[in-house]
Amino acid sequence: MTAGATALAWARARASGPLRVPAGTPAPDGMLRLPEPSGDGAWLVPQVPESAGTRVLAEMGLAGPLLEQPNDTARLLAAALRCCWEDPLAPIWPGVTVASAPVLGVFGEVTGPRDELAHRRSAVAGLRRLDQAGWLIWDETADTIRLGPRVALWNASDLTTLRQLWRSMPGPASVPGQTSVPGQAPVPEQAP
Amino acid sequence: MQQGLDDLAGEAAVLRVYRQAFAVLAREAEKMILSPQLLDVDEAILSAFAASGSEGLTEEQVRNTCRKFPEATVSRRFEVLKTYGAVSKVFERPNERYYRAAFAPYIMLLFLRRIAERGGQSELHQLLSMEHENVSAATATEADGRASVERLTQVFRLIANELSIMSLGADVAQLRENAQLLWGNEPLISRAEAVHATVLQRWPALDRECQWLRAGLAAYRDAIDAAAGRLIERAGTTRALGLLPAEEWRSFARTADTERLGAVLDTFVFDAPAPWFDPQVMTEAVESGGRPDTARMPPPRPAGDTDPADGPESGPVVDQDAIRRTVEDLLGTENSVEIEDVMRVAPDWEAARRVLAQLTAAHHDPELPYSLSWGEGLSVAESGSPAWVTPGRLVRQQDPS
Repeated sequence: MTAGATALAWARARASGPLRVPAGTPAPDGMLRLPEPSGDGAWLVPQVPESAGTRVLAEMGLAGPLLEQPNDTARLLAAALRCCWEDPLAPIWPGVTVASAPVLGVFGEVTGPRDELAHRRSAVAGLRRLDQAGWLIWDETADTIRLGPRVALWNASDLTTLRQLWRSMPGPASVPGQTSVPGQAPVPEQAP
Repeated sequence: MQQGLDDLAGEAAVLRVYRQAFAVLAREAEKMILSPQLLDVDEAILSAFAASGSEGLTEEQVRNTCRKFPEATVSRRFEVLKTYGAVSKVFERPNERYYRAAFAPYIMLLFLRRIAERGGQSELHQLLSMEHENVSAATATEADGRASVERLTQVFRLIANELSIMSLGADVAQLRENAQLLWGNEPLISRAEAVHATVLQRWPALDRECQWLRAGLAAYRDAIDAAAGRLIERAGTTRALGLLPAEEWRSFARTADTERLGAVLDTFVFDAPAPWFDPQVMTEAVESGGRPDTARMPPPRPAGDTDPADGPESGPVVDQDAIRRTVEDLLGTENSVEIEDVMRVAPDWEAARRVLAQLTAAHHDPELPYSLSWGEGLSVAESGSPAWVTPGRLVRQQDPS
């Protein structure tokens, strides 16, 4: 790959996040190539050294990219992780595709009792944010969720922490009220 | 159909010019044009006449042709046009039903629409060219030159006055709205100067009139500078891009297609939204989820208070135990005790004070089953310590269970 193409790929990734490329595209320098589970294309994720990543900002006490509702969004990502990462000993990418209902169920467990409408609203808002940033891939029409290419940027020690988190969280099967057919939105407990 | 602000502004401009021009003609207030739609009605009536042919139209026919407008409006406008002579009877006799239209009102309409579109500047340019032609013509006389220079002086004085009054007094929005109609024309001034030069060269006797024209032009130039200065100054404080009002930017944002809108930001690169999720932070978020918000503001404390490390968390518990112990010591097996007795037992005031503080604390602590009630009066003992005591009683509340 030429230097120009590499620079272009980096600029693209900077402006639009993880790149979806057709199958067979070589990965530019410093980028992580994540094959799609379907074999149809791959993702390119820029992987900067640890000393230059976003987490350095937190260490230095500098403001990172602004994230609205950081706690709910983090909880939603954790819920999606709990559902899409079937086996925490396996690699995190690509995970499995799940319906949104169990993710929302786990999210509801984690956030505690809330108004059904507020719960739904914060979940959708979080899904949009995470989908836009490449943490999750949310297929709005099919209403399915899977992990986004950015999750591959978590390093080994991060993954250890995440495994602990995974084990501490209620699974999609144990969440009450989730015995309904997967792929359907959760039925509100009581009609408003 | 939703109209943009630009459209409304355009209509308002037409209306303003129309009113100004017709103010000379209108004798009664309700016969002034009050809404831009009426211009369309007029135009429709006039075009109905244009299409009618040589025998003219009856009022009913006009109404029928203009049936897309409300009938009452059409007949009212018809009356107004009749009053002003824009529409008149084909033959001047009673019971004549056919009318014909004059061409002048339609010319006026066209002219007004053009002035409104171009702000009257192109008309001013044409006027200047015409005046220049007039004064350069071989047949022109001194009287023509004088009249020409006087007309131009009038025009520039009017513009300059309007602009300078506005630049002094009007608010910026109004200034902005009208500025385009009035200013910004070096060629306008240079053309007027060309007329001036020609006149002065051909008829040196018109020196005085030419001086007035020069003064008028200078006033116009000053007014332009003042208005521009004010607008630029305001643009600097509002950080408005260019001198366009915010509404225009808003309607641009609403009406422009994607390419044009995107072209504004062609030279900018935005980073993709890339928040980082630290697993530790996620764990904390998950653990704190489901609990009500526990972050509370600490109560204000005087500066230089005790080290916040041995904070209030450990304090109350220890205090509670100490208080309970003290009070139980005082009560013993009894359920109540007189405050006077307790006070008198204490060896000195310091000790009594300490006990009193503990009892008060016990009374106020909702978790401790003690209450303190005070009686009336004072019991004084000259030699005692303390020398006076208010009678009171400490009661252990019976456990309801």
